[in-house]
Amino acid sequence: MRVNITVNGEARQVDDVWPGESLLYVLRERLGLPGSKNACEQGECGSCTVYMDGTPVCACLVAAGQAEGREVRTVEGLASGDTLDRVQQAFVDAGAVQCGFCTPGLVVAAHDLLTRTPQPSDPEIREALAGNLCRCTGYEKILDAVRMAARS
Amino acid sequence: MIIGKPLDRVDGPAKVTGAAKYAADQHIPGLTHAVLVTSAIARGKIIRIDTGQAARSPGVLSVITHHNGPRFAYQPPKHPWIYGQTHVPLQNDVIYHSGQIVAVVIADTLERARYAATLIQIDYAVETPEISVEANLDKAFIPERGPFNLRYEYRRGDAHGALATAPVRVSGRYRTSMQHHNPMEPTATTAVWDGDHLTLYETTQALAFTRQKTAEMLGVDQKQVRVVSPYLGGGFGAKGYVWPHTFITAAIARSLGRPVKLVLTRAQSYTMHGHRAETVQELSVGATRDGTITAFVHSAVSQTSMLNEVSWEEMDATTQLYACPNAELTRRVVRLNLGTPTPMRAPLSVGGYALESIMDELSHATGVNPLELRLRNYSTHNPENPSQPWGTGKFLRDCYELGAKLFDWPHRLPRPRSTRRDGGWIGVGMATAFHPTYVSAATVSIRMDADGKALVRSATQDIGTGTYTIVTQTVADALGVPAKSVRFELGDTNFAPSAPSIGSRTAASVGTAAHHAGSALKDKVIAIAVADHRSPLYGIPAAQVTAADGQLFHRLDPRRRETYADVLRRHGPVDSEAVWPAAPGISRSYGAVFAEVTVDDATGEVRVTRLVGAFDIGRVLNAKTARSQAIGGMIWGLGTALTEHTIVDEHLGRILTANLSGYLVPVEADVPDVDIAFVDKADPAASDIGAKGVGELASNGATAAIANAVCHATGRRVRDLPITPDKLL
Repeated sequence: MRVNITVNGEARQVDDVWPGESLLYVLRERLGLPGSKNACEQGECGSCTVYMDGTPVCACLVAAGQAEGREVRTVEGLASGDTLDRVQQAFVDAGAVQCGFCTPGLVVAAHDLLTRTPQPSDPEIREALAGNLCRCTGYEKILDAVRMAARS
Repeated sequence: MIIGKPLDRVDGPAKVTGAAKYAADQHIPGLTHAVLVTSAIARGKIIRIDTGQAARSPGVLSVITHHNGPRFAYQPPKHPWIYGQTHVPLQNDVIYHSGQIVAVVIADTLERARYAATLIQIDYAVETPEISVEANLDKAFIPERGPFNLRYEYRRGDAHGALATAPVRVSGRYRTSMQHHNPMEPTATTAVWDGDHLTLYETTQALAFTRQKTAEMLGVDQKQVRVVSPYLGGGFGAKGYVWPHTFITAAIARSLGRPVKLVLTRAQSYTMHGHRAETVQELSVGATRDGTITAFVHSAVSQTSMLNEVSWEEMDATTQLYACPNAELTRRVVRLNLGTPTPMRAPLSVGGYALESIMDELSHATGVNPLELRLRNYSTHNPENPSQPWGTGKFLRDCYELGAKLFDWPHRLPRPRSTRRDGGWIGVGMATAFHPTYVSAATVSIRMDADGKALVRSATQDIGTGTYTIVTQTVADALGVPAKSVRFELGDTNFAPSAPSIGSRTAASVGTAAHHAGSALKDKVIAIAVADHRSPLYGIPAAQVTAADGQLFHRLDPRRRETYADVLRRHGPVDSEAVWPAAPGISRSYGAVFAEVTVDDATGEVRVTRLVGAFDIGRVLNAKTARSQAIGGMIWGLGTALTEHTIVDEHLGRILTANLSGYLVPVEADVPDVDIAFVDKADPAASDIGAKGVGELASNGATAAIANAVCHATGRRVRDLPITPDKLL
């Protein structure tokens, strides 16, 4: 089937999509956007978090067809040219990145949190990001990054 | 000096924008996709495997079983290091464990391969699997020593005699769980053949291992195999050795004549590349009434697989950490119908948990404060070799002091189960962290171009620890240039051979080679400048010229100066390469970890409310990356203490928790306030740059500190990890 999606502001048309494919697969394998990561394919880890019509979703749990006519924004669409988004910059500055595999999903999830709640409390940050697993950092610096981004 | 500074990760921007390309992110023209079919039983034989429907399914290019599987040039031995396991799947009909590879489907798209894989029908002759360590303790045996120097037996003095006559004796039986590494990045292999040359885009912690063993299995020369891994999404041991899925994918790609990509599913990652072995440990300590330790007797049994003889759960802390004249250590294994264990972040943490728990029990028995007890038994010499002083490289006393101060460790501990807050019992606990310092030979090459920029290369990996960044800093310092003038490329066997990223060795090993390569290049450029009559430095003895901020200058007359770029514009690019053969590895890394927990009365839930770690990691190369690693390590230990265990069905031998909802890794909401301190004193015996390992050390200590705090809070000693709420009700 054919799927029309606006990805990072650009209208994209994808042909020969199998109806069972996930949005994550379409982004990674068909649209050349491997920034969103595939780590569990069950919606447990948050590594594939993207915006769909402004709402963060696990792209692995969205069937490609469900994205028809929607606007998708991935980690690749957050920076403006070479200027990092404040959340991206804060992740670098705070040392919230290690292996980097959970980072794209965390950046989108944190970006969404700050859009909804510009000055989140620590418990709000912990709760909002509890669905994004990280195996390297121990989370402390991720918390710092979100606080830092909220201040900037 | 840039070394030690909290320089931002040089790979940070690529990682936060999604630009960093991991093994499964490569775009390869004509790529095909492999999907594995795995065994539904844990022991028995395949009596029929029907692939007809799968082979006829749309898009399918090939279906591989043991009937038509690739045949290999080599058989890994029973101590398989640096292969992950002895068993090579797809060679015959025997099933050794659930989740073993029994078929591979290759198709033009992933979804078509995945669908076809569901069409394969298999009949098994099922036998009853052995899956319990406890039930097989009578069959435990000491493994044969392999090429890797694992130690299964050790004794000094008369441990049993000393224990029998000790005024205070404490014994415990400790159990630790089977665990899985679960790096966020699933294991992936993409095999691309060009004629008889293979390129592997691989999730590997050891490029050289992958190259060497894939070549050996395929019967080709190592020079024909290139392994590429510029970014790695964690590993923690799961990607350390060479497992069958890698060379099977390469072999299939060769016979198919097409590039093949295999990405393991999360569930498959529970049976394809090892796990931490379950252990049952008996540990006894004898001491005088004032807490001076006179004997340790430690015996451990861990699981191994049907074809392998190996236990990675080293327990050297028992015999090397505390001064104690009599010690005995025995490690045995039992064969189970489960996959082969492999090292998982901090193999020493399993024995270390038992040791640091029994220290806490001894503290209760003697009434000596846990911290004082450890100081009372402090070793200034290697207890295994009294003629070898630990020397200037041991700063454990500093760790105790720094950590106790940060945590405000009490001189007098309240009685267990005596402090309450908000409906829960509160307790504190502490433990020592201990880890050997491993190093490997490493080579680093540098080319500086006429623009004065240095391109640094080494066939090593950055598993997320910060190798890109610390090598950049090290070279910048050695050359005397700003960090932005240095670019480091790694993750490609086309570069100079270098260290694996296992056992916390990358920073010390590759960092030292980088330092030497940088110094050598600086010396070369200085030699060129002082011999060049066009240079302001002409005629100055080379020893009197140094460099800073990209400028070479006369130490005594700094006005005589020119830039690297000035010299190289006249002379063209300059290259250097340095090999560090690695030090003898006599150092150890140390730390002290302090924890506070609250245990809910009604639910038995343990919340860690404070965690403090003070670590002796030699010289700190980057304050930011080291700190992040230390925190991550401590939270790793928290997972081991409280949430992580792989549960196996006791009848079927299948893993019940093969996903991230059944296997609970700590999440943001589980994490307490964490504070870290580093002693930050160079250990020249560890490496020429004075650095020691961080990652594994930091994940030692936290587990026992938390378990001890739980005992202090509740008055109950749980000797069985993880401490889940049911064990406290």
